[in-house]
Amino acid sequence: MNRSLSFDIFRYAAILTFLAISLIPTVWMISMAFKPIAEWQASGADLTWWPNNPTLDNFRFIFGESGSELIVALERTAGRPILASLLAASFGTLIAMGAGTAAAYGLSRFGYGGNLPLALIQLRLFPPMAVMIPVMIMWAFLGLIDTWYGLALIYGIVTLPFAFWLMKTFFDDMPREIEDAALVEGCSRWRVFLRITLPMMRPALASSALFVFILNWSDYLIALLLTTRDWVTIPVYMASLSSSMTGQLYGAKAALGLIAAVPPVIMGIAIQKQLVRGLTFGALKE
Amino acid sequence: MTRITLENLGRDFGEFTALANMDLTIADGEFVALLGPSGCGKSTTMNMIAGMLEPSHGEIRFDGRNMNGVPMAKRGVGFVFQNYAIFTHMSVRDNLAYGLKAQGVGRAEIARRVGEIAELLQLSPLLDRRAAGLSVNILQRLAIGRSAVVEPSIFLMDEPLSNVDAAFRAVMRSELKGLQRQFKQTMVYVTHDQLEAMTMADRIAVMDHGKLLQVGTPLEVYNHPADTFVARFIGAPGMNLLPGRVTGGDGAPVIDLGAAGHSGALRLEQTGDILFGFRPEEVVPDANGPLAMQVTAAERIGPRIILHLAAGDHRAKVVLDGETPAPQQGETFRFSVPERSVRLFDAQTERAL
Repeated sequence: MNRSLSFDIFRYAAILTFLAISLIPTVWMISMAFKPIAEWQASGADLTWWPNNPTLDNFRFIFGESGSELIVALERTAGRPILASLLAASFGTLIAMGAGTAAAYGLSRFGYGGNLPLALIQLRLFPPMAVMIPVMIMWAFLGLIDTWYGLALIYGIVTLPFAFWLMKTFFDDMPREIEDAALVEGCSRWRVFLRITLPMMRPALASSALFVFILNWSDYLIALLLTTRDWVTIPVYMASLSSSMTGQLYGAKAALGLIAAVPPVIMGIAIQKQLVRGLTFGALKE
Repeated sequence: MTRITLENLGRDFGEFTALANMDLTIADGEFVALLGPSGCGKSTTMNMIAGMLEPSHGEIRFDGRNMNGVPMAKRGVGFVFQNYAIFTHMSVRDNLAYGLKAQGVGRAEIARRVGEIAELLQLSPLLDRRAAGLSVNILQRLAIGRSAVVEPSIFLMDEPLSNVDAAFRAVMRSELKGLQRQFKQTMVYVTHDQLEAMTMADRIAVMDHGKLLQVGTPLEVYNHPADTFVARFIGAPGMNLLPGRVTGGDGAPVIDLGAAGHSGALRLEQTGDILFGFRPEEVVPDANGPLAMQVTAAERIGPRIILHLAAGDHRAKVVLDGETPAPQQGETFRFSVPERSVRLFDAQTERAL
């Protein structure tokens, strides 16, 4: 009894420690986003956990309404980068999920594509930089630099292996008999795929898509290299939030970070039911 | 409503031969059980009949029409899978209606037929439930209903009862047989459970290691096993097989069973080594009997007693009804085997003599 109590204490202490490590920066960011300039510029003893005078000035600032206290004017507002991130990450996810699901299905069901799984991974074998320089040259040649679709295309390519491998595991786990049953009843392969397989894979599709989207959404390096001005994404734009007069604009960064956290969280909540339900198929596992 | 002919049918997977040269004709409306241990080729055979698997050689004919290369959707077979393969994202009603929709049957007709089959299988109250949360027993009925509703001329079932609990299995055994009589379909039923095969099938095809060993009615297979595998596999416990040697020659041959004694007076042309077979149920306790073995264990199972016997290297099991005074462990059990119950097998080929 005693041993299990001390074990419980240890367990909860460990959980709290890890929670603190992972959540404190997030809490700090949220707090910072609502602090007026004087508070986030403060250092040492003047720093407070919560804003003393909560304000939306940081949000107003990044959307172009210059706050009274910040003399710097922004060259660009946050609206465009948010749009760029949304477009590039969403379409990149579509590309990766579309191609990845199709490839995974073909390989899982028919064994087409022999070495494809390993070939797909080799993109990830190199340091990203080593891959990105040639990509930059190709994209420049194709005129895809600083376009949202150029960025979406490379996002789709880079996250394809993840989409493929995740979906392949899910397809492998789905009993073939379910498709065979539909085929025996007189359905075409296509109809079976669209009406039986995909609906049953909805939880798998949702969780894979969320994973891929978050990868795309949080990319910095690729966007830094492939966008210059019109279509910089949130992470790249965030890095530019500084000035020689004020240094890093931490309040503005925190506000932008908070905005950037919204889409993945909304998506996560929207598909939560699918995520926790996991994959239960209409067949018994042997 | 279709006659199935398998001719010289075989399937290899690389080096492995899953099924070698099977010949079998299944009559119109007949219920045939493919019986054998796992890996014997019974499911392979079934999958080829369904069209899920192409034969490596040989032919499958439905009513004389060669089905090789015909896609499974066009074969008009119903298939019930071992794991049921229910579409969990749909309601019970949509599951039942699926095959009819795929065939382009009209909406009113679908509703009528789904209603009928649901009534028959006692699924009516569950029609609007999502299939995901249903119990195994109900999934099993749903799987049968989904296949039956399209009224296939051939019904294929792959161990449909292996996942349901024992009590429900007994109920389903009689129900399945009843359904098949009602629909008059040709039924091929794969199972490793001899009880299912014995109780439901018109004929049993016993298979092992990719070979068809014997086809016959349940009684034929039980009474006249074609070889020692069938003899051991059918029956619970299976047939006893004691190695022996025919001596005595002309006129009055005697089978020397070594430590167990000897048995004589059989019409017999064979000489040399044989296997002496008899059913555990057909032994007669006999204080003056020619055979004697030591009792190593006695199990009482309900009204029956199973004696485990040993004599030298010979092992045998005997089933006595509860009325018979049973010998205790360590005692000697003397018995005889009526001549009509004796089955002899060639010691080398293991085929029946």
